[in-house]
Amino acid sequence: MMPLVRYIARRIVFVVPQLFGIVLVSFFLVKLIPGDPAVMMLGPTASAQSLAELRDKMGFTKPLLEQLTHYLADVARGDLGTSWQTTRPVTEDLFQRFPATLELVTFGLLLAIAIGFPLGVAAARLKRGVTRKVADYYGLLAGALPDFWLALVLIYVFYTVLGWIPAPLGRIDMAILPPPTISGSLVIDSLLAGDWEALRSSLGHLALPVLTLGLINAGPILKMTQSMTERTLSSDFVRYAEMCGLPRRVVLRQAVRAALPSVVTIISVLYGFLIGGAVLVEIVFSWGGAGQYAVQGVLNADLNPVLGFVVFSAVLSLVTYLIVDLIYFALDPRLRA
Amino acid sequence: MVAAPILDISDLWVSFPAYRAEPVRALKGVDLAIPPGEFIGLVGESGSGKTTLARAAMGLVPPPGIIERGQVLFNGRNMGQIEDEARRAVLGRELAMVIANPRAELNPVVPVGRQISNIVFYHLSVSRAEADRRALEMLRAVRIPDAERRFAAYPHELSGGMAQRVVIAIALACTPKLVISDDATSGLDVTVQTQVLDLLKTMVAEKGASALFITRDIAITAHYCSRIAVIFAGEIVELAPVATFFERPAHPYSITLLAAFSHSPELRLRWTRPPEVDAAPIPAGGCAFAARCVRRRERCLAEAPLLRPLAGGRSVRCHFPVDESVT
Amino acid sequence: MSALLEVQDLVKRFPLGGTRKTVQAVNGVEFTIDRGETLALVGESGSGKTTIGRCVTGLIEPTAGTISFDGKPMGRGRDIRSKGLRGRIQFVFQEPAESLDPRQRIGETLGEPLRYLGVTRADRERRVLDVARRLGLADSTLDQFPAELSAGQQQRVGIGRAVITDPELIVLDEPTSALDPTARAEIVDLLIRLQREFGTAYLFISHDLSTVRFLSHRVAVLYLGTIVEQAAAEALFARPLHPYSVGLLASVLLPNPRLKPSSAVTLEGEIPSPIDLPPGCSLAGRCPFVGERCRTTRPPPTAVGPAHYVSCFHHERVAALDRTVDHFARFQQESNRLLSVGADGN
Repeated sequence: MMPLVRYIARRIVFVVPQLFGIVLVSFFLVKLIPGDPAVMMLGPTASAQSLAELRDKMGFTKPLLEQLTHYLADVARGDLGTSWQTTRPVTEDLFQRFPATLELVTFGLLLAIAIGFPLGVAAARLKRGVTRKVADYYGLLAGALPDFWLALVLIYVFYTVLGWIPAPLGRIDMAILPPPTISGSLVIDSLLAGDWEALRSSLGHLALPVLTLGLINAGPILKMTQSMTERTLSSDFVRYAEMCGLPRRVVLRQAVRAALPSVVTIISVLYGFLIGGAVLVEIVFSWGGAGQYAVQGVLNADLNPVLGFVVFSAVLSLVTYLIVDLIYFALDPRLRA
Repeated sequence: MVAAPILDISDLWVSFPAYRAEPVRALKGVDLAIPPGEFIGLVGESGSGKTTLARAAMGLVPPPGIIERGQVLFNGRNMGQIEDEARRAVLGRELAMVIANPRAELNPVVPVGRQISNIVFYHLSVSRAEADRRALEMLRAVRIPDAERRFAAYPHELSGGMAQRVVIAIALACTPKLVISDDATSGLDVTVQTQVLDLLKTMVAEKGASALFITRDIAITAHYCSRIAVIFAGEIVELAPVATFFERPAHPYSITLLAAFSHSPELRLRWTRPPEVDAAPIPAGGCAFAARCVRRRERCLAEAPLLRPLAGGRSVRCHFPVDESVT
Repeated sequence: MSALLEVQDLVKRFPLGGTRKTVQAVNGVEFTIDRGETLALVGESGSGKTTIGRCVTGLIEPTAGTISFDGKPMGRGRDIRSKGLRGRIQFVFQEPAESLDPRQRIGETLGEPLRYLGVTRADRERRVLDVARRLGLADSTLDQFPAELSAGQQQRVGIGRAVITDPELIVLDEPTSALDPTARAEIVDLLIRLQREFGTAYLFISHDLSTVRFLSHRVAVLYLGTIVEQAAAEALFARPLHPYSVGLLASVLLPNPRLKPSSAVTLEGEIPSPIDLPPGCSLAGRCPFVGERCRTTRPPPTAVGPAHYVSCFHHERVAALDRTVDHFARFQQESNRLLSVGADGN
């Protein structure tokens, strides 16, 4: 137990400087975005004087380092500034939008694992045959298809033509009242509240975006699972297990278990990526997620949402990686030495 | 009446197809029968085919290798044609292998006690608790100190000698009828090697099982086996009781193996044919050892010798064995 | 004339990453090698013999102690690559396949050390041919790649590469462990022949006691970083006086079923780890003769014969044991008889 506690403590201690570095770099990058925020805010017809006043008020005229220190002090207090587009504190905006992104990404990735992992194991086991060919082509396609294109195709097929899915406008039918927020996920909250109408509606709206993300991200998971399982199936200890006459499913289970660390790595990388990387899907489905929010900020030189998004997703990523490392700890006893 | 051999290999030919060339023949007509309770050594150098023989005995000739001719019968079952399920029932249970390099071949993420327990659990259909109990017993039987604690240890936490004992425990857990040791002590310190070999010999003998000691080190067979088979280029060239063999080896290759231990380079040279750089290649039909043999004559180049019996209960594959006298 | 190599009070500790413990690889080792002589370091895992070999070449910096080659100290930046030493000390590795550049032809590999000594191309080629002949390698081998050679031939090349600079000392770290017995014998014969021709001294590190007996003039037995016994080869094998030496020699299996290893001294258990060794004799935990003093004080080397030193408080008890004769000598007698029979078809 002690090495575990020490390990976690060490990692948490490192989170602070990591976060600091991320915010520092992001701050300077964001300042490089072209476009004068004051002009954006007041419009092209604003007078030079009001522009100057606004710049002064917003602190854009102060030296860069001073702006940075201000910002850092604010962040330390939990204040991520205000978005001039929504006129609300960024923190509030993000708390409202992040659950949407997380719901989408989490379910999407779960579907990706459900598709990719078993196919990967099957493909590794059966060196020839249909399954193997399917897996090979699938991996190829999934890497080549753009996610927004697939999203549009799915909308066309399932909404326009078949009419099985409700219109891709947000997370839930506008006429229905969303359930009380407990987890932030509409599906889970509807379930908890026993609100079947809300549940049906939110599921319907979730179906296609999750399907999109799932189908596309299953590709890398499949390939990684397949190649790692193939490698472990030809390793020394599997050969020895065969010599000991262990049943085939037991040997396969041991081989897959040895392949898990790499698969877990790629899943965590995908998760971190998708938090911002699902933005195109969010836009197509008008999801109202955090990625969309950040992109709007970039387009309108609204800096606080952008920085706020970076801070949020950085924290999320770091937490994800910590959890993944703990999973490694559990999977491989050699790390505990 | 003589008991049926536990392992009966007859006229076994194993070859590996090569791309656009003659297939590589790893084993050429090997005959070997091991009666119950016998300890037999198989000595050869790298590439002699001894590992292929072990694999063939287990029905695990690695693809693309195939059994061209002949058969391997283990306890009456044809291992060359056995089904996957049936083979898994035999391996680890009636036929067990003790491997070299245990820390590389044990599962690194499963505790060693559990690995022993797995063998018992899957082969003998007992409860998990019973399997664990027997595993602990085996750990004690192979004299691992502090067995209860070591039950939960991982392979990388054990020394080479202890990991080797675990492998022996796994091999003997289901009381097999034949134990094959494939170079099981190479890489171990010499003091540990003696301990491990003694342990293996005692435990196998206790269970009335047979043992096949495959090794590059001929000295091991002198002390742990009752019969010795020497393999060269996929063929058994000499098969003899140990006492007779080390007293008066008959095949010139056997003598070169023993000469390797001599402190007299002159005597060693007597048995080594210097490589003739521009000599004509040996015709294919002759003795495989002819290229290196100091006793070869015309007949050896033309005609491959068969394994024929000599006095003293031995067989030699040679037209002109060194010693043809009666015991 | 001073010794070629002098090692005094050599100590080497390696820090264990992530903790404050150290691996005590070498703990106060002392020996000399004269010109043209072979000293063998024998021991099992954890004995420190490989570390000593690398310290002698200056490739590892000792923690304490001095190593002098031809009267001048080694280490502190002065190693076998330094100007005054280049080519005078050479190294032969255990794994022949891994120590040869797989993309370089044998001829080039053999000539490479000479390049760094500034030898002209013509001279280089001549010497390479000369060495190849001494090694018993066909001229055609010089154009081949390592992968085309057998393990025995590869090791010959490894030795050739060491010998070509006419070194005064060669350190050989388990040069035959990876080879089959017949190849092993050929390499040993080669080493002896080369020593006779060139007068090179060898530091022969090995756990193969049979070969050591044959090849060495003197032997030092190592256990957990200390030399427990040091003597001329025949003296050590005929009458080992340290409990560990006895136990070690007793475990050597000879290919003769009637020469069973004797069990005059049984060492319990296994070799402990060289991390954080307890004070006193390193064998104390396993020795059947252990006494109180053994656990607290390190036994110093005691002279028990000409150039024969034992580090044990109870060596007299070991000497008094009723033991059978030198197995190795008996075996050689049998072996000679056996090999003298009919090589030429009688």
